[in-house]
Amino acid sequence: MISELQKLEKDALAELSAAEAEDQFLNIRTKYLGRKGLLTGLLRNIAQVSDNEKPLFGKLCNELKNSLNSKIDAALLEQANRNKENILLKEKIDVTLPGNAVKYGHIHPVVQIRREICSVFASFGFSIVEGPEIELDYYNFEALNMPKDHPARDMQDTFYIEDNIVLRTHTSPVQVRIMEKVRPPLRILSPGKVYRRDSDVSHTPMFHQIEGLLVDKGVNFGDLKGILSAFLKKIFGSATTLRFRPSFFPFTEPSAEVDIRCVMCGGKGCRVCGQSGWLEILGSGMVDPAVFQNVNYDPEEYSGFAFGLGLERIAMLKYGISDIRLFFENDIRFLKQF
Amino acid sequence: MLVSLKWLKDYVDIELSAEELAHKLTMAGLEVDEIKKIGPKFSGVVVAKILSVTPHPSADRLSLCDVSDGIETYKIVCGAKNIASGDIVPLARIGAVIPGGYTIKSTVLRGEKSDGMLCSESELEIGDDESGIMHLPADLHLGLPLERALNIEDTVLDVNVTPNRSDCLSMIGIAREVAAITGQKMKLPRIKIKESAEDINSLTSVRIIDADLCARYTARMIKNIKIKESPVWLKARLEAAGLRAINNIVDVTNFVMLEMGQPLHAFDFRFLEEGRIVVRKSKENEEFISLDGKTRTLPANTLLICDGVKPVAIGGIMGGLNSEVKEDTQIVLLESAYFNPSSIRRSARKLAMPTDAAFRFERGIDPEGVTTALNRAAQLMADLSEGSICKNYIDEYPAKIQSAQDIPLRMERVRQFTGTDIRVQDVIRILRGIGMVLKRKGKGVFLVTPPTSRVDISREIDLIEEVIRLYGYDRVPVTLPDVSVTETAPIARLELEEKIRQLLVGSGYTEIVNYSFGSPLAADMLCLPEKDFRRNSVRISNPLGEELSAMRTTMLHGLLETMKRNANNGSFDLKIFEMGRVFLNRKEGELAEERNMMAGLITGEISDTFWNSGKTVDFYFLKGCLENVFNDLKLNNFSYTSEITESFLHPGKSCEIIINKDQIGFLGEIHPDVMEKYDLKNHAYVFEINLDILTTHYIGRKIFYQGISSFPAVTRDVAFVVADTMEADKMLSIIYDQKEDLLENVSIFDVYRGKGVSEGTKSLGLRFSYRASDRTLTDSEASAVHERIVQKVVTLTGAKIRA
Ligand SMILES: [Zn+2]
Repeated sequence: MISELQKLEKDALAELSAAEAEDQFLNIRTKYLGRKGLLTGLLRNIAQVSDNEKPLFGKLCNELKNSLNSKIDAALLEQANRNKENILLKEKIDVTLPGNAVKYGHIHPVVQIRREICSVFASFGFSIVEGPEIELDYYNFEALNMPKDHPARDMQDTFYIEDNIVLRTHTSPVQVRIMEKVRPPLRILSPGKVYRRDSDVSHTPMFHQIEGLLVDKGVNFGDLKGILSAFLKKIFGSATTLRFRPSFFPFTEPSAEVDIRCVMCGGKGCRVCGQSGWLEILGSGMVDPAVFQNVNYDPEEYSGFAFGLGLERIAMLKYGISDIRLFFENDIRFLKQF
Repeated sequence: MLVSLKWLKDYVDIELSAEELAHKLTMAGLEVDEIKKIGPKFSGVVVAKILSVTPHPSADRLSLCDVSDGIETYKIVCGAKNIASGDIVPLARIGAVIPGGYTIKSTVLRGEKSDGMLCSESELEIGDDESGIMHLPADLHLGLPLERALNIEDTVLDVNVTPNRSDCLSMIGIAREVAAITGQKMKLPRIKIKESAEDINSLTSVRIIDADLCARYTARMIKNIKIKESPVWLKARLEAAGLRAINNIVDVTNFVMLEMGQPLHAFDFRFLEEGRIVVRKSKENEEFISLDGKTRTLPANTLLICDGVKPVAIGGIMGGLNSEVKEDTQIVLLESAYFNPSSIRRSARKLAMPTDAAFRFERGIDPEGVTTALNRAAQLMADLSEGSICKNYIDEYPAKIQSAQDIPLRMERVRQFTGTDIRVQDVIRILRGIGMVLKRKGKGVFLVTPPTSRVDISREIDLIEEVIRLYGYDRVPVTLPDVSVTETAPIARLELEEKIRQLLVGSGYTEIVNYSFGSPLAADMLCLPEKDFRRNSVRISNPLGEELSAMRTTMLHGLLETMKRNANNGSFDLKIFEMGRVFLNRKEGELAEERNMMAGLITGEISDTFWNSGKTVDFYFLKGCLENVFNDLKLNNFSYTSEITESFLHPGKSCEIIINKDQIGFLGEIHPDVMEKYDLKNHAYVFEINLDILTTHYIGRKIFYQGISSFPAVTRDVAFVVADTMEADKMLSIIYDQKEDLLENVSIFDVYRGKGVSEGTKSLGLRFSYRASDRTLTDSEASAVHERIVQKVVTLTGAKIRA
């Protein structure tokens, strides 16, 4: 009898492991453990077992019954879980398709550069000021030491509205307007659009400039170098090599052109830097006493420096753009890259 | 200014390489834009030795030569007589190219083969000698390329001379700088005039009528000249400087202009009527044919050089066709003058004649260098044309030009301004190096007199600049100024712009920047009415083109053009915005009104993800975005009214945007007629808002916390059937106007037209929310208020309640 019991256990376990569906498990339970089940049948035949084996046989039967029951319960639970999972898996989506939020827009690259530069100078204590884009000849030229018929006016080809009204050719007139109103010390920055009568791969009739001005007692040429070096190292990286070389602007003296080591070739010479290894980045200089006199600052008491730079040029160098006109064509495929 | 190094070396010794010199000039303020190498006009010509010369068997005038280039021996047939065995000569081998572009080939001359050509100076354009084969020094290495053997190569520096440095528009000026930088001595040309017995004063005269425009006029006369080609050295100088050689007389005037910076002019004396010169201003619209053959109508007050009867040159700008030097010219009247810089500049600009002469005069020439150049040119002309210089020269100098003298220079100021502790002896050395004369005047003060060529120097600061420029900017220590700052008030509009920019970009909008000017036709394309203020645009008097001539009065045109450009590139889905100014014309002589605006345009698909596309943008998409922005900025009290008459907007899908009764802009779909004018297909929705006005509200905005009730709300839904024309805003304001304290909020949850709602009406579903802050509202309390409100709405609007 015990051997029959063992065979029964073996059969039941085999069936159990072969079963998959819920009803199969229930059938196994009925087949072995039900009222007319095989195990129940064996138990009914306990009379045929010798007396001394009876307790053992009864115990084994009970154990088998309990173990089969719990195995079937476990299998049923597992089965139920698997079913739920299958239902969810049927809802599987393609996670590799692109997301579906409205994509962010893009800030114009020139505006990005302007923000960057303004924030660097804000950290040096400069405040932003503005002035008109359609400007009097007086502020654009004369007050900046460029009287009518001055050859330096050739440096900037001018759009005229009337004889005495121009589209400003630089943001420098703003410094005059501010100095007329505010006494030193002064640290101002004037970003904005400027206009020159010029159009080719490297010139557009409108572009953006930032002009800075610092006036105080005892400001000297070393201070100019200090502020502008600190600025350029923040924008182009602390390893940037720069040089200051003499130049000419009518409203500053001495004047300095500031070059950085070419960011493309590292100074070896390439197309971008015209083989010179240097890139002109900004113009600067100590404010000419004549300009101070025009705004009633005493040049013996105050000195200062001014600087100006073109934003498109910086953006072109930073992003490797070779045609300045791209900034104003507003091709969405261009703008999306910034 | 193109500077030939070979030429420059006539005036100063240079031991630096071209690159080193270019660097030093650049760092002294004379930026070198380019270094160009100029080669010979031939190639493949080498140094060779004649081994033997034998007569040609069948031609008397030819010889047969064996010529060696050190490696091989060539058979050459030669027609020249001046050759002998042992001579060192230039040999153009097979394949060599000689001036004129001729390539040497193997030929047979009268039955004898010739494998090359022996050359004369003139055949190689090295010199003028064409009498025979050129003889080279005996110690030259055979086979050496001739250009290297004779050092024919030249290097030309393209120097960018800033407008203040008129003194550097000459070879001698540049040489002076080089001498100052390198510490070398200047070698000025020696001028030796051999005069004939005839006195110029007996032959001609000069009368200056308008001395304000012509301070000085000097002249010399050279007789018996022979016009011919200039010698090779002179032609080479001019060519290196980018000028074309013409003849010996004209070339000398150009040469001396380049050498000394003084423009000169040579008249053919036989064409000067009455044989004299009169300097006067032009009358309005006087006509004159300049050297280039063009008829010029002169504005009044143009300086004219005349003879006794008629104009013969536009002073300082260009000579006249009627008195130009011709092939048979025998007597030349040579002019060297000082003209008023402003007057020359004005005239050159008005006449659009930016000549080399005008360029120098308008920047200011050395008033004391006028006669030096006159004599230099006269001597050269006489030398090159076999002419004779008349005795004396005319020097009319009615208005003495005052050159700067004794400018005080304080050492303390130099040090303070430059931020260096430069020594006195360095300052003295630097200033003397560029020709300044220094006198000591007390402790630490000098009186400095610059050379008369330095017309840019008149003040102490000009001297300080010279000192620091030549001392070296790189030697100035880097410092940072002390911070003692009065902060200027920040511009609120910029802060607002920055916030809006962030919000719009976060909503999917991309920022664009258009030109501030565009076509004057924009007003027509936008169908602006006759009297619309935006038709009154500021016009540029010298635009780059008609299509870029009108300052914008609205940003819409730029947005639509941007849409068009992108559509042409296949980009049909756009969400773009721009911030910038528009310009409104005021009275003549007044500056325009500049308004800060922002504007935007959307068109095409909402989403840029293709696989999930299908929904296109509409009015409410754009409005929702603006509402989001205003909400985030805590700008309340916005309203939108359809009472708008913008001609470029769809009359049924547009509104004005109003904040606290200020009209700040508009929003709507572009009118189909306008779209057609721009040849655009998709629908486009736009807005434009005045940022200046918006900013005033932004500054004034206040945020007040409102207590949050902990008691529950009671809601009631009602669907009103109202006329189709009834606007939601109107309904809401009627409701809020009841000022029921318990009413917390009303929102629109449904707008329905169609089945069950009769034609011409619509159903507006409103959800009312009632709440008390101090207790739980009872149903009956809420119902009482709700009934009152609904009844009022029905009375005021004639609405029906939809079951
Ligand atoms: Zn480079």
